[in-house]
Amino acid sequence: MSRLPVLKGTLDLLVLRALSWTPMHGFEIVSWLERAGNGTLDLEDSALYQAVYRLEERGLLQADWGVTENNRRARYYKLTTAGRSFLRAETKNWMQYAETVTTILTAGKEPASASAS
Amino acid sequence: MIRAGIRRAFRLPLRGRHRWERDVEDEIKLHLTLRAEQLMAAGVSPEHAYDEAVRRFGALTESRARLVDAARHREASMQRAEYWEDLRQDLAFAFRTLARQKGWTAITLITLALGIGATTAVFSAVSSLLLHPLPYPNANRVVFIDQQPSEGNKSGISVSILPSALVVRAWRERAHSFEALEGYNTTDLSLRTKSGEPSTITSIRVFPSFLSFAGQRPLFGRMFDSTDVARGGHVLLLSEAFWRERFGADRRVVGNAIALDDTLYTVIGVMPASLKSPSVGDAGRDVWMPLDIRNNDIGMRLIGRLRPGASVAVAARELDSASAAVDGSGAKRLPFIARVVTPAQTVSFRDSLVMLTGAVALVMLVACANVAHLLMARAAVRERELAVRIALGAGRGRLFRQLLTESLVLTSVGALLGFGIGWAGLKVIIALRPRALSALDAAHLDVTTGLIAVGLAVVSAVAFGVLGALQSARRSTHGALKTGGSGSSASRMHARGRATLVVSEMALSATLVVGATMLVRSVINLQRADLGFDPHGLYHIELVLPRARFADAAARTVFLDEFASRLRSASGIKSISVDMTPPGWRNFSIGRFEIQGEPVRTGTTEFIDINSIDGDYFKTMGMRLTQGTMFTDTSKAAGQAIINAGFARAHWPGGSAIGHRVRVAQSGDEPWLTIVGVANEAQTSGPGSESSTPLLYWPSRPEGRRSIIVRTSGDAQLLTHAKTLARSMDAQASANVTSVERDLAQAISGPRFVMLILAVFTGLALVLAAVGMYGVMAYTVAQKTREIGIRVALGAPRQRIAASILVRGAVLALVGSTLGMASATWGTRLIEHQLYGVARSDIASFAAAIVVLAATAALACIVPTRRALAVDPMTAIRAE
Repeated sequence: MSRLPVLKGTLDLLVLRALSWTPMHGFEIVSWLERAGNGTLDLEDSALYQAVYRLEERGLLQADWGVTENNRRARYYKLTTAGRSFLRAETKNWMQYAETVTTILTAGKEPASASAS
Repeated sequence: MIRAGIRRAFRLPLRGRHRWERDVEDEIKLHLTLRAEQLMAAGVSPEHAYDEAVRRFGALTESRARLVDAARHREASMQRAEYWEDLRQDLAFAFRTLARQKGWTAITLITLALGIGATTAVFSAVSSLLLHPLPYPNANRVVFIDQQPSEGNKSGISVSILPSALVVRAWRERAHSFEALEGYNTTDLSLRTKSGEPSTITSIRVFPSFLSFAGQRPLFGRMFDSTDVARGGHVLLLSEAFWRERFGADRRVVGNAIALDDTLYTVIGVMPASLKSPSVGDAGRDVWMPLDIRNNDIGMRLIGRLRPGASVAVAARELDSASAAVDGSGAKRLPFIARVVTPAQTVSFRDSLVMLTGAVALVMLVACANVAHLLMARAAVRERELAVRIALGAGRGRLFRQLLTESLVLTSVGALLGFGIGWAGLKVIIALRPRALSALDAAHLDVTTGLIAVGLAVVSAVAFGVLGALQSARRSTHGALKTGGSGSSASRMHARGRATLVVSEMALSATLVVGATMLVRSVINLQRADLGFDPHGLYHIELVLPRARFADAAARTVFLDEFASRLRSASGIKSISVDMTPPGWRNFSIGRFEIQGEPVRTGTTEFIDINSIDGDYFKTMGMRLTQGTMFTDTSKAAGQAIINAGFARAHWPGGSAIGHRVRVAQSGDEPWLTIVGVANEAQTSGPGSESSTPLLYWPSRPEGRRSIIVRTSGDAQLLTHAKTLARSMDAQASANVTSVERDLAQAISGPRFVMLILAVFTGLALVLAAVGMYGVMAYTVAQKTREIGIRVALGAPRQRIAASILVRGAVLALVGSTLGMASATWGTRLIEHQLYGVARSDIASFAAAIVVLAATAALACIVPTRRALAVDPMTAIRAE
């Protein structure tokens, strides 16, 4: 299976989804995405940080310095309330969109033409 | 996970200036380390693991720069958001606290609004009159030019001699201090309307270059030029207002001819409304016509623009040397010297306006003192709250911002209300203006002044509201918490500070009360003044005759005499007299006043009032002869004269003037006149006008300006009657009837206007001072509640407690008014020459000030005293 480029705008959604369980630092998010996507997503690691900063700026994430299990200083990101409701709404949108696109692409024959009346 | 405090530290703008950069570095480093570890765990060799980690991260230099940039952007926008959030909180907090103390907030806002409003209104009015009297380009270099007698003028009369066209031509050629010199003359002309009824319109004649001097262009049509002047100048431009009113704004009016004083003029254009007449205070002119500079027979008024950097003194000297050259007199002394003045110097009531400015500045000071004082009172109340917050670790910066926001909210609302009051106040001032200040109609709210007033308010609000509060809170962080906020040293300092402010408010108000009382008394005196003649029922008729047909003085005299004799038989007319100088006017003979047998005084030009009268003059005027007899038919031939009592008394004190001989000498061969009578003094130009300088009455002669004065019995329809009569005698003749009584009322409308405004300000200052006084007394009582409670409990009579409160109020008022008296003694110098029948040391005015201030103080003390009397000892003692 070839690696999939990440569609514009969906990276934000994926990051928010990653953080919906628990606060994570950057590398944890990257690893989670790789695991959850079975390594099929084609993404430079730096792009993730870009996305995280952007989300923080928009107030959807909140960052705090913390310490990893191995006692390393790391910047932990956590969903804000605004981030959580954004995730909920956008997930719904995405699902509908994807469903619609799938329906259209998998339709067997030419769609019936709409009547003019 | 460590959280507390770090985030805040991270966001501090100064310390974290490059913090985000290091943060990004740290984050990248950690990421690469973890990735490399992950790869090694999966079996990649250590030397390849790190390279692979970097590869997966993306081009390192480039992405690092991109991330730092993103991080910086993020920090900036989060700081902004935080700032706005803080501001929103501060504003909400400010509105909440202000709304909680409704009474205090209302009083402070009213004080601010009144102070700012009054200042803005008056300064706007004054600046439109004094600072921008003429709307011409480079107005600061615009000057008026006229001439004065070179020998000096001791008559006390303001004299303006109009330079002749000959002199003006020389000035325009030779005086290099001037960029431009423009002559003008104003006259009233008679316009014949379609209905045949002649109506009077105002006209002004100017040079063709005047329009460019004024920086204007005709609305449409064209300006006249030298060709028009050379052809006789029978062209004119209409003013925009006149064109709209009389011609219905019809553009086809250009090219039409209109008849003024029996001469036809072609309309060549319309002047824009923005073009103002050069006379300061002039309401505007109906038509603009060319002034011929080649006509040596005329004199003219002059307005000019100095070159940048040219001084008034140098300009005047240059004009004099230019006139000496035309005069041909060379080294000989000139009869007249040039005078150059700025437009502001020609404004009527100039001194009164300056005085009002001073008064309103005092009101603003009182308002600022009050705001300071109200804020200090509040700071004292909040001392404990602030101390607690500081003790609990509230940042001083945050606290400062909060107090600042509160002060600014307060002053902003006050400023808005103030501008509203200022706008309304200016409208009122314009509505009340005396006729002579018609330029006031164009006054608009002066934003600069308003902002300066607001600035003053902000400064006092911040100084006393923020810094004062913070300082006392810091000083008393411990004290306030321990003692419960009363009796600490800071409170005592507050109390002293506020007492000082109240004393100064009282002093400023006292000064204003003294001044206002003097002006009120002076206006009352003006209204009641014995003028030496009876203006009631007295009218003055001026005949307007077509100039062309009545060019000959004899023809005018015949018409006038005929008119007078016909009018005499009309009903309601008691007495009629033809004279040269109607009430409100003065005619002068210029020369040296000589008395036969006395040494000749030299050196000064004198202006001797003259009036040429007929036999019924004194009877019509309601005057009488105090000595001697009235003129007879032979008086003219015998060279007789009557003088005024003021002069007789000054010159022949205790003796009689009758029989002495006087003359006005110019060349020195004028005939002597024998004094046959002395008439009582009459202030014909209104109360306060000069009445003891020499005034000569001559027996009637035909020459000179002649008018008719009429004494009527009550409601004679004089106006219509005179007009009808004039028209029945000549279809183009018209009569202007003026009520002398109404003219005199106009004459005192200026002082009355000034008095009214000053009285309003004084009232305002008193209200503000009362508010201040109330604040201090109420605070004193609140502070002493416990003490009063104990005293009552120990059996002190309540009267004594009330007395102690009142005494404190009285002491403040007394000290304040004493200081006020002292400053009034000095300050009334400003209004001295506007006083009529009131001395600067007028005891009554000073006494009135003391009474008014005492009453104000007493009023302000009523509520606090009642509160003190109502103190319940048990509650008061337990309250602590």
